Order: sequence, then structure tokens, then C-alpha cells
Amino acid sequence: MARRQPASTETNGAALVCAMAWAVPGAGHLWLGRMQKGIAFLVALPLMYGIGLWLEGQIFSFDLSQPLVALAALADLGIGVPYFIARMLGIGDGRVVSVTYEYGNSFLVVAGLLNTLVVLDAYDIALGRK
Amino acid sequence: MTSHVGLMLLFSGFVSLVFALLMKDDVAEQMRFGAALFAGFVAAGLALGWLMFAFPL
Repeated sequence: MARRQPASTETNGAALVCAMAWAVPGAGHLWLGRMQKGIAFLVALPLMYGIGLWLEGQIFSFDLSQPLVALAALADLGIGVPYFIARMLGIGDGRVVSVTYEYGNSFLVVAGLLNTLVVLDAYDIALGRK
Repeated sequence: MTSHVGLMLLFSGFVSLVFALLMKDDVAEQMRFGAALFAGFVAAGLALGWLMFAFPL
């Protein structure tokens, strides 16, 4: 029978998996050996984020004077590294007059939120709950 | 592909895919659950679209 790791080591490992899963969508599942899910997340979530940018959606800035904008910014950040790549490349400014602007925002925000769910799923797997 | 329906289908597809993978472990169950979710999203979108046509905001 395998010896169970001490709780602190297990939690540290799970936190590392969460950080990986947040930074690169699907990386947490790949690390934990869930290849099918990991590859699907790795392809689908950055693609969804990219489509949001292509649709001229906006990556919102953290503006605490506008709580809903700040929440959207937090959701955008949920995708991890693609967020920073888009910021570095100067894309994601959004074009409000574009007919697809709101669609783009929806794709960007939901991609970030879905990756947050993926991070929580990876955390549960890392702790042996799933 | 920037039509409203096309983008709704694409969006529904992505969300259904991720939810199906998160909720189910068996591939056959993932397919069934994902297809049901996708159909539900599309049906709800079309129903709400027609409702808003009859009762515009």
C-alpha cells in the first residue's frame, strides 16, 4: 500500500499544479497524466481567447472605480500566459464600434473563467478528490 | 464567420466541450453530455432570440 504524503507536501504540490494550470491552460491536467483533457484544454481555451481577440474584443484594465470592469479584467486574467502575450503584443485594445466587439468580450471573459474552472479541477485531481 | 448564429454556435461548442470534459471522465459520457449541453445552449439561444424579436427590449 502506497504511503500517503504529509498534508503540507500534498498541498504544496497541488498549489504548484494550480499555478501551472493557470499559466498554461491544460498544463495541470497534462502534468497529472490526464492527457486527453489536458490536450483538449490546451487547444480549446487559447483558441477561444484568440478568437475573442480576432473579434476585436477588449482585454479590460483593472479599474477599481468601475467594479464590473475590474471583474471582467480579473476574468480576462484567468487565461494565464495568453493574457500577457496579448498585452505584450499590444492587442486586445478592443474596437467599440465593431459589430463583433461584445462577442469578442464574451469569448475573452468566458475563456478566462473556463480556465479558472480547469484550475479548480486540476486542484481536486492533485488532492485525490477525483 | 461573424454572423450572430455562427458565433453563438462556436461559443456554445467551446463551452460545451470544456464543461463535458470537466464533468465526465468516460469518453462516451463526455460525448453525450457535451452534445446535450450544446443542443440546450443552441435551443435556448434560438428561443430567447425569437422571444426578443416578439418583445424587443
